[in-house]
Amino acid sequence: MGHPTKESILYDEEGSEDDEMGDMNEELSESESDSDEEGDVKLLEPSKKAIYNRDGLDEKLQDISWPENAGWIHRLSIDITQEQEVDVNDDLKREASFYTQALEGTRQAFEKLQSMGLPFLRPPDYYAEMVKTDSHMEKVKRRLLTEQKEMEEADERRKAREAKKMSKEIQAQKTKERAKQKKDEIESVKKWRKQRQQSGFAGDVNDGELELPFEDSKAFERSSKRRPGVAPGDRSGGKARQFSGKGKKGMDKKRKGAEFKNSKFGFGGRKGMRKQNTADTTDDVRAFHKGGMAGNNKRKR
Amino acid sequence: MVKKRKHSETKAVEPTNKDDDSSVQERPKRTLLGWKDKTEVKETESSPAVFRNKEKVLVTCSRRINYRYRHLMLNVVSLLPHCKKDSKVESKSSKGATLNELVELKSCSSCLFFECRKHKDLYLWMVKSPSGPSVKFIVNAVHTMEELKLTGNHLRGSRPLLSFSSNFDNDAHWKLVKEMITQIFGIPKEHRKSKPYHDHVFNFSIVDGHIWFRNYQITVPHNESDKVARGGLEKMTLIEVGPRFCLNPIKIFGGSFGGPTLYENPLYVSPNQIRALEKRQKAGKYAKKVKAKKRRKMHELSNPLEPNEFADMWKE
Repeated sequence: MGHPTKESILYDEEGSEDDEMGDMNEELSESESDSDEEGDVKLLEPSKKAIYNRDGLDEKLQDISWPENAGWIHRLSIDITQEQEVDVNDDLKREASFYTQALEGTRQAFEKLQSMGLPFLRPPDYYAEMVKTDSHMEKVKRRLLTEQKEMEEADERRKAREAKKMSKEIQAQKTKERAKQKKDEIESVKKWRKQRQQSGFAGDVNDGELELPFEDSKAFERSSKRRPGVAPGDRSGGKARQFSGKGKKGMDKKRKGAEFKNSKFGFGGRKGMRKQNTADTTDDVRAFHKGGMAGNNKRKR
Repeated sequence: MVKKRKHSETKAVEPTNKDDDSSVQERPKRTLLGWKDKTEVKETESSPAVFRNKEKVLVTCSRRINYRYRHLMLNVVSLLPHCKKDSKVESKSSKGATLNELVELKSCSSCLFFECRKHKDLYLWMVKSPSGPSVKFIVNAVHTMEELKLTGNHLRGSRPLLSFSSNFDNDAHWKLVKEMITQIFGIPKEHRKSKPYHDHVFNFSIVDGHIWFRNYQITVPHNESDKVARGGLEKMTLIEVGPRFCLNPIKIFGGSFGGPTLYENPLYVSPNQIRALEKRQKAGKYAKKVKAKKRRKMHELSNPLEPNEFADMWKE
């Protein structure tokens, strides 16, 4: 990308023999000229003075490189061709290209290692010190978990929001419907009245009063729904029975409080009905053999 | 190695016997695999001494280093079991000499020197010790291993695979850098602190004239230690372990920590210059404003407004 052909800029070799270690201040004048570059780390065009000693580099490479007979197993290096140029500033694409390169390299290397027949994969029972400590990995795990939780929570919130919106809509529809129904009923009553007027109050039985459904006095009756297992006269709502059923051991401490006392003793009222059996109490055989068994146990001891 | 030496010893003894009874047919030596031919033994004998990698890397940093860069250095130390960490070195102009001495003292063959300047800029010296070369990089985009986003983990001291992008072979200086990286970042085979399995890969890739470093953990389904499960190569995934950094080569010198310059990055601008430039631009903004104000004033003075003819129309 940023590397133009070096062949065009072959520099003289004895350019700077000086033993310089530090700054390259001679480029200062260069950077001043292209001041519109703004924060980019690179010069727009390569400086002409830069040294490039190709022979020296090659010589050094010869010097340091390992002998020919050093096998691949020593260097473990793999070259992978990059298919296309990557845009550096696109983080995702760049990382993806690195990932694919590494993956491809590992595949090739593993094939080579496999063909050598040496053990190279870590067996599952091989435990040794890792690069990152367990406590650090714990942190990593916790972070992943919280991230996941957050995501789920956000999802839930979103769903709730949507549901709320939906319910509002439904509610609006319902009220509309109700209003419509009311209107219809009023209309029907009017119609009926008109009809009666036209027919000259023909079927008049109740002094011109309308026979409304609530007049048959059924609506005002107490609901006959009864809780199962509660005696008809029991005002505690079955609480007393419930407590007396299992209040044998250990529960005595828990049955304190005014509520329980009220349920058991109440404030007057009819007690007689409480002693009546109901269908449920007859079916209940929880306490049937209890006394006998307890006696047995005691005898055994 | 040991086995081979044994063979040669027995061979050396043999000829004396042979002189005595040359008429008796020589019996080939017996090995575990069967009768061994003499010619084959000769062949193994003639091969040169087996290469042994004895690389040792000194890792150190300059004084007044940033904590982030120090952590990066410690991560590198944890990745390279064949390295020796040393105390900080004063980053002066004479640091080359001291570092050379230090490397020799520690009997290392190469050095990674993290030099931090102004608490901001990290330079990395990658040096082959006795006779060079040395490469000076500027390090950008540093992410340490401590970051929780990098979720991988691998054995400490297992030998990494090194994956290079092919554009390392395009140019002489990249070739040199590649060779140095393989020697410094590759852990020597059978190093006593290394572990025998391969479970991570170093990825070096040149993008935009910079070397990008990544370290991935390899997860592959397998049952035996010498064979990947069927179709395992397809199912292989990598998890990043870290650290991440990006190296921009500045210069390559012939010697260790000095010597003749062999390469100079023609595109490099030092961060000092960039900062200076930014400052100058900011300063320029104010100067421009002042100038514009003055010019406006001059303009107004030179062209005064004509008196409005309707100015006192409603005054009466």
